[in-house]
Amino acid sequence: MKLLAKLALAGIVLSPLPSLAHHSYAMFDMQKTVALQATVVRFKWQNPHAFIELDATSRGGTERWAIEMTSPNNLAQEGWRRTSLKQGDRVTVWVHPLRTGARGGSYVGVRLPNGSTLGEVS
Amino acid sequence: MALRAAAFALLCCAAVPASAQLGAATQSPPPDGVAEGAGAGNPRGRYHALDALPDWGGIWFVSAGASGGGAPPAIPKLKGEYLQRYQAWRAEVAANAGVVRRTRSNCSPPGMPRIMRLAQYPYEFLFTPGRVTINQEAWMQTRTIWTDGRAHKEDPDPTFMGDSIGHWEGDTLVVDTIGISDAIELDTGMPHSARFHLTERIHLSADDPDVLVNEMRMEDPEALEEPFEVTVRYRRDRHGSLIEFQCAENDRNPIDEEGNTQFL
Repeated sequence: MKLLAKLALAGIVLSPLPSLAHHSYAMFDMQKTVALQATVVRFKWQNPHAFIELDATSRGGTERWAIEMTSPNNLAQEGWRRTSLKQGDRVTVWVHPLRTGARGGSYVGVRLPNGSTLGEVS
Repeated sequence: MALRAAAFALLCCAAVPASAQLGAATQSPPPDGVAEGAGAGNPRGRYHALDALPDWGGIWFVSAGASGGGAPPAIPKLKGEYLQRYQAWRAEVAANAGVVRRTRSNCSPPGMPRIMRLAQYPYEFLFTPGRVTINQEAWMQTRTIWTDGRAHKEDPDPTFMGDSIGHWEGDTLVVDTIGISDAIELDTGMPHSARFHLTERIHLSADDPDVLVNEMRMEDPEALEEPFEVTVRYRRDRHGSLIEFQCAENDRNPIDEEGNTQFL
């Protein structure tokens, strides 16, 4: 348990989350990760945060989600490019959801149509 | 119609003071300590002297564990009303599930001295005769350090970057900064007074020429119990370059009237 706590701490220290971010991450539930099966509607490669808008498949049909990422500068260091996603791509995206329950979240990782992944996927 | 045109002309001219002469070039006198014909404004014939300066080429990232040695990071010791304000800030954040209220736009940069300790976004250090320019990628911030022998401005307007003058002691750039706005934090949630004073000694590491060391010393007779010293290390990316960062490009996180960040 102690080891786990230490590992968790190390994970926090090494995580790509900005320590001096554009804004606080308290609006997201950082303890919770959900996977969305979705179709990309729009990918905005812009500062201070890149965004993915997508239609996620749910029991009731589809839901429009807005996923906030870090900056293109940081994402580029993780292997992202402005061409990594395009409209219509079928992807799985892992996010920390908004605490409010609104359909938004903070990006964690993605599985692209060709099966490759970026970020942390489970 | 002619009357209306005349009224418009009056209105238009009334908006601009006659003395402003918009478009006319300003003629600033040499700063205190700089002779006519010298200083950073007269670089010609002085570029060759830059070859004597140390090699700070490339871009630089704050390195992990910058405070070094596994020791817990040092924390500034605030006092008086500044300590009370910090404690009130901490209590409010704790009571608000970790949410920090903002009084400024999320696109407002942290300013000095925090930008010199900013993880993730790199810096570059540019030498030109009489000045060192530090560019920080995040928010595309620029610091100017005058090394042409000028004195501090008298009563400088408070700014995000403050008023910086510097000189070389061997291969160490010694920078003295005053005039940082007291609306800017010295560390997360920590306020300082208008008398905040920062000294930096920046030099390559003796152990590793690809590590740049910044020994920072912060003094504030009103806000700090004792001077706060922290050493920041930066690692070199020789062929890296800064990437554009226009925060207004996709600012979907405005602040509401309660100081909370919105997610649009």
